[in-house]
Amino acid sequence: MNAFIDFIMGPMVWIAFLIFILGLILKIVLIIKDVNARESYIYSYMTLKHSLRSIFAWLIPFFPQSTRQSPVFYSISYIFHLLLFIVPIFLTSHIVLVNEAFQVSWIALDDGLADILTVMVVLALVFFTIRRVMVPEVKYLTSTKDYILILIVALPFITGFLAYHQFFLYRPMVIAHVISGEIMLILIPFSRFSHMIVAPLTRAYMGSEFGNVRHAKDW
Amino acid sequence: MPNEIKTKDDSPVVKERKTDEAVEAGLARLTPERIKNTINQVLQKETGPRFKAYVETCMHCGLCAEACLYFLSNDRDPAFSPAGKVKQTIWEMLEKKGEVSIDFLRRAVHIAQTQCNVCKRCSMYCPFGIDIAYLMLLVRRICHKLEITPLYIQDTVNSHSATMNQMWVKEDEWIDTLQWQEEDAREEFENLRIPLDKEGADVMYSVIAPEPKFQAGLLYQAATIMHAAGINWTMPSSPGWDNSNMAMFTGDNEISGRIARTFYETAARLKVKRIVMGECGHAFRSTYDVGNRWIGWAMPPFEVVHALEFYHELLTSGRIKIAQKFKKTVTLHDPCNVSRGRGLHDMAREVTNMLCESFIEMTPNREHNFCCGAGGGVINCGPPYKGERMVNNRVKAEQLKATGAEVLIAPCHNCHSGLEDIVHHYDLNMEVKFLGDIIYETMEKKIYKPGE
Amino acid sequence: MKPWKRKSINRESKMKQKVIFMGFILFIFTAVYAFSNTELERLDNSVFEKPQRPSAVFEHDDHNEMAEIDDCAVCHHVYEGKELVEDESSEDSLCSDCHSLKPDQENSISLSVAYHKQCRDCHFEENKGPVLCGECHIKE
Repeated sequence: MNAFIDFIMGPMVWIAFLIFILGLILKIVLIIKDVNARESYIYSYMTLKHSLRSIFAWLIPFFPQSTRQSPVFYSISYIFHLLLFIVPIFLTSHIVLVNEAFQVSWIALDDGLADILTVMVVLALVFFTIRRVMVPEVKYLTSTKDYILILIVALPFITGFLAYHQFFLYRPMVIAHVISGEIMLILIPFSRFSHMIVAPLTRAYMGSEFGNVRHAKDW
Repeated sequence: MPNEIKTKDDSPVVKERKTDEAVEAGLARLTPERIKNTINQVLQKETGPRFKAYVETCMHCGLCAEACLYFLSNDRDPAFSPAGKVKQTIWEMLEKKGEVSIDFLRRAVHIAQTQCNVCKRCSMYCPFGIDIAYLMLLVRRICHKLEITPLYIQDTVNSHSATMNQMWVKEDEWIDTLQWQEEDAREEFENLRIPLDKEGADVMYSVIAPEPKFQAGLLYQAATIMHAAGINWTMPSSPGWDNSNMAMFTGDNEISGRIARTFYETAARLKVKRIVMGECGHAFRSTYDVGNRWIGWAMPPFEVVHALEFYHELLTSGRIKIAQKFKKTVTLHDPCNVSRGRGLHDMAREVTNMLCESFIEMTPNREHNFCCGAGGGVINCGPPYKGERMVNNRVKAEQLKATGAEVLIAPCHNCHSGLEDIVHHYDLNMEVKFLGDIIYETMEKKIYKPGE
Repeated sequence: MKPWKRKSINRESKMKQKVIFMGFILFIFTAVYAFSNTELERLDNSVFEKPQRPSAVFEHDDHNEMAEIDDCAVCHHVYEGKELVEDESSEDSLCSDCHSLKPDQENSISLSVAYHKQCRDCHFEENKGPVLCGECHIKE
């Protein structure tokens, strides 16, 4: 069993991160190559200035009209997306593992706080799920795949929470935590999770079309 | 005035009716192979990474719904939300790899051609800036290739193709109409001319075909304004005078490109310095952003000036002086193609304030305006769809009503016609006017001389 | 001889029930005792300023018996610079005498890393023993 754990917490982590990072890089490279080959007219719209202008405008909480019109959703969504990165990156146990492997470490969240933040991530996912069921225009667009995406994000957080508290089945829970986290990382380049890197591109295009050609704001 | 469809229950979109004879005739000609091949050809060969990115990035969050006048007017029916319309059209085409039914296509063409004004408001409400209008135009492209485009708008495209204008206006009729307006206007301004084919003029004035066809008074007004402002201007006598482009809205990109090419070649032949166009939104889109690209120009080869911008110039430079400001309370509709489409909304306010005594804003406004519901080729799909067009833009009626203004300024032809329908249908008791109407009414009727 | 065993010989069926019942009670008591009253032997973590986890459970003698470790130096090693000193052991000094809380010039391995590596690396090598955080840092 220890050999299996050694694998999923050793080589498998490497594999997951490599697929995640190289996958995203490859995705960007392929998009750019494809744009050059087939849709180079896109560049006649694009400017760096207007791309960045739009991306930054959309990063400012409650600046775009849309965010002011749906404040509850956006508040939860902002917090969720921030925590999605903050919690795993600044979690003591993760830092300890990185430190042992690479002799680097950084500031860590207090475990008690991390615990609360984890619950918040899960609650945000519960909110997204309820919204998918309850809000007609969202329900209309929702298919099983959307729930699977929610589940894939939820699993590492839920299993991490349960493992931390050592409620039951500690060892299987940690194994599930590690594997589900790796699955999430691996799936990012190949699923709609890739919006983490593609959305800035689509935003940049629209920001450019609006800013550069239409001389208008797009927020 | 067909008032029969007033409530949502009556809305023809609930059950897909056979609304349009050209669509039905087109559907009857289709075979499963042709449908499949055409869809796949367009999706694989005519789209690229941009389309792929949109499809692979949309998280189905539904935030675009809030932006759409169709969704809001139809009591938040999800089928009318922007992403909902994408789901009912291109998602399924993509998922089924083009193997879709006749019924599906009847619905798809109905949605893409008449339930979306390609106004791009939703792109401002999508956190990722997904261009849903582009996706709807793709559906239209597919429908065009399947030859199931609605009758009335297809007729305008046919007219473009044969005559290079939208309304089957013959060349002699065009010249005749201009001369008739010139003659009438000379009663007001001695020596007024509508100069045809004047090489090297400062301005080529260009209009859309409905003006000579049934709104000749607008040509009259334009001529008096040009004359009074002392502009060295001309209008082309040959095809290329019409700047409208309905092919752009049916996905007939080839004809759309021909229209733009003829237009610019006409301006080049006349060696004009710049092109000024009448108060039309879609024509501006075509000449400023779409048609020019199709013929290889990122930006138009000529400076293209929308009427609104031109009026601003005339008023601020003192070429046109206002004798007495317009008295009635006015509100201003921001046409998508010149506000969200060109950022002229602040200029439009300045012009309105220079012309009118009391201006009331409607909300939302500027880039966030609600579309008139007629643009993007929707009104051009004609009478079969008029009833639902009225239902589909209830929010605009509510928005107009809230202003309590007596006059509604709409500096765009499509908006003008669409809003007139809305005003009548919802009994809003408003007068719809172009800015040109008000300038003509309020300006000093004398000829500008430098230094005065 | 336990008294209830003798009785059970006499009156079988009724006694059987009683035996099961009593056995059950005994089991509960044992279990409760085991989990509440026994203090698990834990490492002394008083040197850590703000420990985030409960101190690791380590039953020194049981561990060495089970792992068949006789040589103290297997764990209580002595290093001179980067060289391991053979045949010397350090069980008389504290781990924290050499390993400080943060890695410094004298010793690049911090105290917590030293503990983690010391235990876990061996457990991985031997393919037995706890290797996951909560398997040593058991909740109190």
